[in-house]
Amino acid sequence: MKKFWLVFKYEYLRHVLRKRFLFGLLSVPLFIVVILGIGMISALLAIDNKPAGYVDQAGLLTITEVPGEEEGIFADPPLVAFPNEAAALEAIDRGEIGAFYVIPPDYLETGEVRVITREADSNLSQGRFTRLVRINLLAREDEAVAKRVLEGPQMILRSVDGTRETNESNFLSFLVPFSAGVLFMIAVNSSGGYLLQAVVEEKENRTMEIVITSVSPEQLMAGKVLGNLRVGLTQLFAWILFGVVGLWVAKNFFPFAENLAIDLTSVMLMLITLLPAFVMVAALMAMAGATATESSEAQQIAGLFSLPIVAPYWFAGSIMTNPNGPLATGLSLFPLTAPVALPMRAIVTNVPVGQVILAVVLLVLVALLALLLAARAFRLGMLRYVKRVTWGELFRSRRAVA
Amino acid sequence: MATIDVRNVCKRFGKQQVVDDVSFEVVRGEIFGLLGPNGAGKTTTIRMILDIFKPDSGTISILGGPMTEDKKDRIGYLPEERGLYQDISLERGLVYLATLKGLSASEAQKRIQTWLERFDLADHKNKRIKELSKGMQQKAQLIATLVHEPELIIIDEPFSALDPVNTQMVKDLLREQRDAGKAIVMCTHQMHQVEELADRLVLINRGQSVLYGSLDEVRRRYAGQDVIVRALAPLPASLPGVDRVERENGQYRLHLTSGTTVQDLLRCLVEENIPLEQFEVALPTLDQIFIQIVTREGEAL
Repeated sequence: MKKFWLVFKYEYLRHVLRKRFLFGLLSVPLFIVVILGIGMISALLAIDNKPAGYVDQAGLLTITEVPGEEEGIFADPPLVAFPNEAAALEAIDRGEIGAFYVIPPDYLETGEVRVITREADSNLSQGRFTRLVRINLLAREDEAVAKRVLEGPQMILRSVDGTRETNESNFLSFLVPFSAGVLFMIAVNSSGGYLLQAVVEEKENRTMEIVITSVSPEQLMAGKVLGNLRVGLTQLFAWILFGVVGLWVAKNFFPFAENLAIDLTSVMLMLITLLPAFVMVAALMAMAGATATESSEAQQIAGLFSLPIVAPYWFAGSIMTNPNGPLATGLSLFPLTAPVALPMRAIVTNVPVGQVILAVVLLVLVALLALLLAARAFRLGMLRYVKRVTWGELFRSRRAVA
Repeated sequence: MATIDVRNVCKRFGKQQVVDDVSFEVVRGEIFGLLGPNGAGKTTTIRMILDIFKPDSGTISILGGPMTEDKKDRIGYLPEERGLYQDISLERGLVYLATLKGLSASEAQKRIQTWLERFDLADHKNKRIKELSKGMQQKAQLIATLVHEPELIIIDEPFSALDPVNTQMVKDLLREQRDAGKAIVMCTHQMHQVEELADRLVLINRGQSVLYGSLDEVRRRYAGQDVIVRALAPLPASLPGVDRVERENGQYRLHLTSGTTVQDLLRCLVEENIPLEQFEVALPTLDQIFIQIVTREGEAL
């Protein structure tokens, strides 16, 4: 058992201590930050934060400030009152405002408001002006009624059994399962890639016989699979941590993100499928590595296992529109597609508990079978430096392995 | 108690009988030659001893019984197909392999430092293994084989691709280990190396054991009717009981007729008053014995 830990530690540290790993770990969040940063910078450059003015010829706006109005770069610019159009025009000329509203004396009858601006793309602070007009129009109404009219209905999407709900502003309930699936794929592929390399490495560099006369093939294989699995999990949890920090920053510094929350059902589904899925893919990769004689050959075989993992994204439209149809159900039960398809379905429907259990049981069984086959492939192929192990040999009787 | 006891071991791969009823023993403090031409079954026999393959029949006892995980720590093995992890530093690679043999990391580091100094590799310990020359890598492989001070050392083709300097170094090392009481199995087809080093040997051909015993015993068994003589005066044109005389490198090789003994020849030379500098029974080399056996077996088929 001690030697299993030695292999496990060696396999883990040899990747984690490499610059390449650190670069891979940081590149994903860095990429997201850069993309978001570029988006924000371009948005900031486009923002015109000049105040807008208004001329109230109807004598309607007795309240001049909207209570609780947000201030900041992304908020609507403030409004400045002017006694007449000439004064407002002068302010435009001086560059103090970009545009101004004129509320004519017959506003209540016509509902028309004029906007005067020199530049078509001036920020009109339209949302703020609308709220200001509404709050003044409702000033004499009952407070509760006024609030309801101002805020509108708060729509909450709730499942039939009442176990899950989300609100319309919470785009994370869609984003998290989609992006987590992508991260899962990247992590699985990278740790699977490391594993492929690790399994075939001893054959390529001819250390295999030395190693297997020091440690049992089972301990060696288990140490390799779990050591490289931990590399992938380290990567994934680091990214999740970056995501949580990012969410915290967004919630605290950006007003639009205040209502964001993560749908726990999708997260739970991801967590319970993650580990067996990781073991399964890792074992399949190890099996590919053990049957091959060179890492380039192993990579080609392993590519076959990567394809089904992305398949749910190809059918994302069908899954979302018909989440309980045969395609969506089939993909969420099939072990190679389940880790991505199951949380995807959970966004738009309540996946029956029986199906979740079946999907997890199938995943665990296939993961165990893959481990068994990987160990068998390893025993059969460990001393084959030229001829690869065939699938026929792999599935033949246990006696062949001895 | 024998360190290795192989009894009537057989192994078949598909239709091919690779090892057929092979038996031998290896004891402490000896260099044992496991000989045979390429494809004779030597490596398969070693792999069965090391429990990489299971024999179809027969028994193998190693260090007093069947192979266990613990016993692996008491064995040093340098296979024919050998190498080292390429992408890590020399020291790290050796420490990892030594810890797999049961040493603690600190103890492994200490011992490896001593070995690296002995093999003039200390200055290269932080280099990646792939940056080292082939000769340096071979020395590093030897360190990996010996660092945990194994009781049993098995080396498959120890001299393949070694330059003369490294060959001599390996020979000295093997003698040193033998003198320290280790059991050493040297698996090779290079007969002259065995002649120089081995105490006992087994010769395997086509999977079968065809020769087994001490080196001296084997050579005597295959010694013919030839005598090598170096004399200070020319030999007479004919000598009684001598069939043919060959002159080579200042010495004579005398082929005796059947019925003539070495003692008969010696007596004759003394009676003839021939001053002798050297008189010895011409023992065949292992190469000659090997060719003789293999050819005979080939003819018998």
